[in-house]
Amino acid sequence: MILGVDVGPTNTDAVLLDGDRAVRAVKVPSIPGDAVGSLAAAVGALPAEPRRRATQLAVGLRVAARAVRERDGLARVGVLRVGGAAADAVRPLFGWPEALRDAVCAGTANVAGGGGLAPRDTTPLDRDAVARFGAALAGRAEAFAVTAVFSPVDGSQEREAAEILRAETGPETTVLLSSDVGTLDLLARENATVLDAALSVLVARVADELTATLPGLGLAPGAAVLVTRSDGTLMSLEYLRRQPGLSLGSGPACTIRGAGLLAGLRDAVVADIGELRARVGALTGGYPQEAGPGERIGGVPVALRFPDLITVGAGAHRELAEAADRMRPSAGLLPLILVGGGAGGVPGRALTGFDVVRPEHGGVAGAFGAAASPVGGQYDRIVRRGPGRRLDAVRDEVRDLARAGAVRAGADPRRVHTHAEPDLPVPYLPGAVLLRARAAGPPLPL
Amino acid sequence: MNVDAGALADFARGCAVLGSGGGGPADVTLPVAGQAIEECGPVPVVDPATLPADALVMPIGLVGSPAVAAERIGGREEPARLRARFEALHGAPVAAVMSSEIGGLNGCVAVAWAARLGLPLLDADSMGRAFPRMDQNVLELAGLRPGPAVLADEHGHTVVIDEVDGAHLERFARAAVVAFGGRAASTDYPLTAGQAARYAVAGSVTRALALGRGEGPAPLLTGKVSSVRRYATEDADGDDATGVLLEGAGPDAGRLVLVECRSEFVAALEDGTPLAVVPDVIALVDVRTGWAVPVEEVRYGLRVHLVTMSSAPAWYTPSGLRLAGPSAFGLAGLGADGGADGSPGPRGRVRDGSSSTDGRPSLGGTP
Repeated sequence: MILGVDVGPTNTDAVLLDGDRAVRAVKVPSIPGDAVGSLAAAVGALPAEPRRRATQLAVGLRVAARAVRERDGLARVGVLRVGGAAADAVRPLFGWPEALRDAVCAGTANVAGGGGLAPRDTTPLDRDAVARFGAALAGRAEAFAVTAVFSPVDGSQEREAAEILRAETGPETTVLLSSDVGTLDLLARENATVLDAALSVLVARVADELTATLPGLGLAPGAAVLVTRSDGTLMSLEYLRRQPGLSLGSGPACTIRGAGLLAGLRDAVVADIGELRARVGALTGGYPQEAGPGERIGGVPVALRFPDLITVGAGAHRELAEAADRMRPSAGLLPLILVGGGAGGVPGRALTGFDVVRPEHGGVAGAFGAAASPVGGQYDRIVRRGPGRRLDAVRDEVRDLARAGAVRAGADPRRVHTHAEPDLPVPYLPGAVLLRARAAGPPLPL
Repeated sequence: MNVDAGALADFARGCAVLGSGGGGPADVTLPVAGQAIEECGPVPVVDPATLPADALVMPIGLVGSPAVAAERIGGREEPARLRARFEALHGAPVAAVMSSEIGGLNGCVAVAWAARLGLPLLDADSMGRAFPRMDQNVLELAGLRPGPAVLADEHGHTVVIDEVDGAHLERFARAAVVAFGGRAASTDYPLTAGQAARYAVAGSVTRALALGRGEGPAPLLTGKVSSVRRYATEDADGDDATGVLLEGAGPDAGRLVLVECRSEFVAALEDGTPLAVVPDVIALVDVRTGWAVPVEEVRYGLRVHLVTMSSAPAWYTPSGLRLAGPSAFGLAGLGADGGADGSPGPRGRVRDGSSSTDGRPSLGGTP
């Protein structure tokens, strides 16, 4: 059995799942500022007998989103860019809102180094400059974010810089690398890495709390713990520590996915009706539809993907119908799934033109989505077509790396499925193509 | 008029529209211009006719892959080095900077460089939009020489290309760009302010600003992307092509428009009838963000306004259509190639500027 928990701002929901059937569902008030305490209260409200058979706990904590929104609990970050002359036209953290920058920034530097599309385009890393930066921030920065030009193609200079920083500041220092974020867009990738580093201390504390609380929850011995992420999949606590930003947007993602599972649908529009506002998203092939590139968090462009969402007032039924219509990927009739505590208050006549579905347990769709989601991974890479290059071989490698991402995130390597997404052209770079793959599978049993 | 920090986002949004889906995402170079203006002050925008006719103008733009430019965002010293080499080649000081390509990411590059060099930016450019080839510009149509062209990277590596025609410039520069790792800054088709006033696309910066403020033409259709099909063309160079199907929504429900793409959007067809064909500017503007979407970012389900407008009049002349008309993009038979009579905006469905005869492209939608 799988236990899914969704720690919302008002209520915390817990669902016990046997196969794809909900055995028990509870809703308890959240304890403000205490995500793990809220989780424990919701889990404790479930009967002890079935709870004892839960071998997996999947939880949406929502602590990262709250920390960014309220600028609370963020670590001070040493921001190191490796690019030198190739990357000094825009300084690190340029364009950040002043309050967020002040809350996060312990110091910045841009040192010589960085790569290119091909190995021959690499500039040697200025190791001394990295060491000077580390020494200057020792004791002042709680974490470091390292971003090298073209690190998604070759991450070796970021790893080298991380070693130097740890040598200067201590072997336990958290150093997060932009190559883990991926995406060829230096500034958006750097911003995402800095956000990850800023969230790393808070997230580590919550992960420690959760680990310490686990034995007292009355689950099966050795039950796996996973947390939700913004693409509608799950990841391990270890993965969360390295990339907390992946959990931003995971609340709505889980609700959209859970709504689809509850309604038995893979393609639908989903409206989550809360007390004050309603959020409308789309389910495509069983997963939340992603918003396009150019996402921003706290005003900062970041290389993170979020579910595509429109937010309207909870009582504004006309705007809700408009938003649902805009979320329809095509003009064909698609079901509209209503979930959330306020779903019962939306009259069907307000939503003409939609086949409205109100699934049982819709009030705990987020917890259901957490319980019923696989562990995920994804990877993309730009490759050049050319003589002697077999695209199929590279495509296999990209799929393998997506699979490796899912396994790193906590998936059982024997049961991960991969699928390639359509190739994307890379404009003005003749012969180049962006290969992408996703992977998902159940967590590794302990 | 100045381009200052407050006007910059509007300008970039307008450049994205004029990119016709190409020229690279304008938001990639927006912060480059933002920091340059913050450090060096707003950029004065001048009509080339107000400068001495023999004043030297340095056209500027990045060449290569926008994906590489999004990583190698460039250096603060690049503009000064390129200027020094340019002035040495011409034996004269530069009086102003001009954008080689207003569409896409290069509009903001010109603003950034003008700011760093402390020079005015001409209210003009060499394309009036974005095109894939360096020689697809109106200065080539006017018979100006591409050389001496200077290409340089962030580290100061420099290549000078001279004694070439447009086709050779394209061939040599592309080879150099590969050696530069996929991105270089270029100044090509050097010219005087007098030549710029006479031959360049006039009013480009003003036009981008107006488009970015939302003063563009009314959309031909508002709807959703209902399919994106990417395929290899049968052209000799094997470029990838994309077919985007737009499905009308709301008042446009029931309408279907096919948008053909290469590196840019090159044709929009409804029931087989062209609504707009290259060199017309064709933009898909994201309903949510207000930004025109590049070809590579168009995806299923995206809600867009289809906006089209005519390009610079020079592009509708027989030689303009030969260089950058439908047949240059494998679309022979569409649009005006065959029966071009030199009149601008030959198709009736293009809603702006087509009657402009004073040599200035009028702003879309203005009566």
